[in-house]
Amino acid sequence: MDLNFSKEDLDFQSEVREFLDKEYPKHIKEKMDNGDDLTRDEIVEWHKVVAKKGWMGHSWPVEHGGTGWDATKKYIYLRELAMEGCPMFIPFGLQMVAPVIWTFGSQKQKDYFLPRILNFDDWWCQGYSEPGSGSDLASLKCKAEKDGDEYVINGQKTWTTLGQHADWIFVLVRTDDSGKKQEGITFILVDMKTPGVSVKPIITIDGDHEVNEVWFDNVRVPAENVVGEPGQGWTYAKFLLFHERTSIAGAPQLRRGLRGLVKRAEKIFHNDSPLSEDPFFKSKVAQIELDLSALEMTELRGLAAEREGKGPGAESSLLKIKGTELQQRLTSLALEAAGHEALPFGGPYGFKDQEVSSSKAAQLTAAKYLNFRKVTIYGGTNEIQKNIIAKAVLGL
Amino acid sequence: MNLNFSDEQNLLRDSVSRFCTSDYDFETRMKSVNSDSGFSKEHWKLFADLGWLAVPFDEELGGLGGDVLDLSILFEEFGKSIVVEPYLANVVLAGGVLKRSGFDKKDEYLSSIVSGEKQFSLANYEPEKGYNLENIETVLDDKGLLNGSKSTVLNAPNADYFIVFSKKGGDFCFSLVSKDAAGLTLKSYKTYDGFMSGELTFENCKPEVIIQEKDALNNLEEVMKDAIVCISAEAVGAMEKCYRLTIEYTQQREQFGSPLSKFQALQHRMVDMFMETEYTKSFLLKVLATEDRDEKTKLIYGLKNQISKSGKLVGEEAVQLHGGMGVTEEMSVGHYLKRLMVIANIFGSADFYLQKYINS
Repeated sequence: MDLNFSKEDLDFQSEVREFLDKEYPKHIKEKMDNGDDLTRDEIVEWHKVVAKKGWMGHSWPVEHGGTGWDATKKYIYLRELAMEGCPMFIPFGLQMVAPVIWTFGSQKQKDYFLPRILNFDDWWCQGYSEPGSGSDLASLKCKAEKDGDEYVINGQKTWTTLGQHADWIFVLVRTDDSGKKQEGITFILVDMKTPGVSVKPIITIDGDHEVNEVWFDNVRVPAENVVGEPGQGWTYAKFLLFHERTSIAGAPQLRRGLRGLVKRAEKIFHNDSPLSEDPFFKSKVAQIELDLSALEMTELRGLAAEREGKGPGAESSLLKIKGTELQQRLTSLALEAAGHEALPFGGPYGFKDQEVSSSKAAQLTAAKYLNFRKVTIYGGTNEIQKNIIAKAVLGL
Repeated sequence: MNLNFSDEQNLLRDSVSRFCTSDYDFETRMKSVNSDSGFSKEHWKLFADLGWLAVPFDEELGGLGGDVLDLSILFEEFGKSIVVEPYLANVVLAGGVLKRSGFDKKDEYLSSIVSGEKQFSLANYEPEKGYNLENIETVLDDKGLLNGSKSTVLNAPNADYFIVFSKKGGDFCFSLVSKDAAGLTLKSYKTYDGFMSGELTFENCKPEVIIQEKDALNNLEEVMKDAIVCISAEAVGAMEKCYRLTIEYTQQREQFGSPLSKFQALQHRMVDMFMETEYTKSFLLKVLATEDRDEKTKLIYGLKNQISKSGKLVGEEAVQLHGGMGVTEEMSVGHYLKRLMVIANIFGSADFYLQKYINS
């Protein structure tokens, strides 16, 4: 066992750094470092920069245009991007629907969609949850009926992240309700421009419009857009969720976030000495740091297992739980550190034109803390993840 | 030892509770939050008519001569509906300073608080100066002019008068500044829990009058202790509402063919929320029942530490157990979390007060 990077790994690290140095668009970097929201165009621009370099498929097999990197390289790559504060990759195409398509899709689907995903020509979103089907996803009701060589979809999806920007949505629909609830679910790809698809914003407690309801009103979709076998969607859905969960632990982002907080704390005064010298604060930072080290190693073990062809399994639930808990501890500590300076709130209410003296970084801590309440809920709540571990790992 | 409330106190609780349950539902609250003034003038008038704005003031002013125990009763009920009207800013903070000052015209100003005619704000904290009350730079100079800036001035955009804490000579003082005073600039904002607040800058600004020149810091310390007890009581009310909302929601939300409330893992979480709330309420009552001044002060620091931790825990659990719905703006539970987080961190964090507890 060797935890040191090889010469080759170090060279690769330099290559990634050089790429970021040269190609990471300055105007995007500035906004990211400032905590400003990117526009749709800017997010697309960033993805295209990476695509041009050929590094979008960091977790894809070579035959579909992936980089074929080993676990260490992938780890280095993602860490460098995160430490530089680059925008997160929109995962719905790249990390979620793509593995489903290359594993279960038709040749035509692979040929059409995979290169477009790799090039970020299409923005994908996810049609999984419904108002009555969250944790109990298999109880979903959104219905698709076969009519000739088309399916007609009627129903509603919810919590669709960035659906307002999307070109395509992958949807779990019920094509048969005669058997068990897990049976009769079909995985289908829908062009968001199809007549009858509408997107309605959901405003969250941080005042943001990130998630949406997506409504289907007699939406006609070619039957060839079904992935795999009709009625087998539940298998594909679960396969996808394992992929989703490994990508949301976010250890490198945590590392960067913690570093930023510690730095800011040097200039924060709750009492007479800087917060960075406060023993209570230091103890909290140290505890996060320790957990973070364990999380990073767990992530690395996951990547190694994946590389050996074991694929992400129920262990991804562990990463999801531990990673999201840490994210919440960090955002909560940042809010606490910002103290009174966190009170002025842009959000839905704020007086947006008023300049108050507290720094933007401090003001953003509240929105970020509130936004991060979602992480222990999305991708399957942490309670559901514990059920999965109990059942699939511990055999209980 | 007597752990019972008096008849008057029970009447006060009933009256506030009645208003909150029948006239202050979540939609009503959000209408106030989203209005320009950030609160309802009709409600404010009602508070005055019902005598609530007079609770801690002398009977000559139409008050009840009440103390922080009476205020805590009112705040606990407010907490259940996360009432957004500026009671803390007017009555507890500004009114508290006026009440304790030796200012000869204080009754005139207190009457205008009691009647609801005028709005007040206390300006003592300063940008990036932390929570130590004496850590300020604003000065009232020999010519009687104020210079400096103030932040976290609760209710500032609505205030007719500011009570400003500043240095003067080698000591501290309170002065009264009209909102129209020359040399005063106001920047308004809303806090993330929907309350009005602001920042003030004074450039050679002339106060109307000096309210207090001696023992001003002592006055402020007493007022802030009252304020901590009040927001702690408010948090207890909000926590109680949080676990009740969660029970209600999990009883009606069905997944896997059964209400969420039937899952043992979730039941235990709600039991924890309940226990945390009751435990914190006990702490609050302990503070209220303590008479020795030094002991009470120490316990108030401890209370702020406790409330910051327990409010956060109960609020976060309430949102988590509501699932996706919990993080939506349209559901009330997330707004309880916001208020609880502001209470957790305003006037000083859990750690800040733990340190004060240890050192006192």
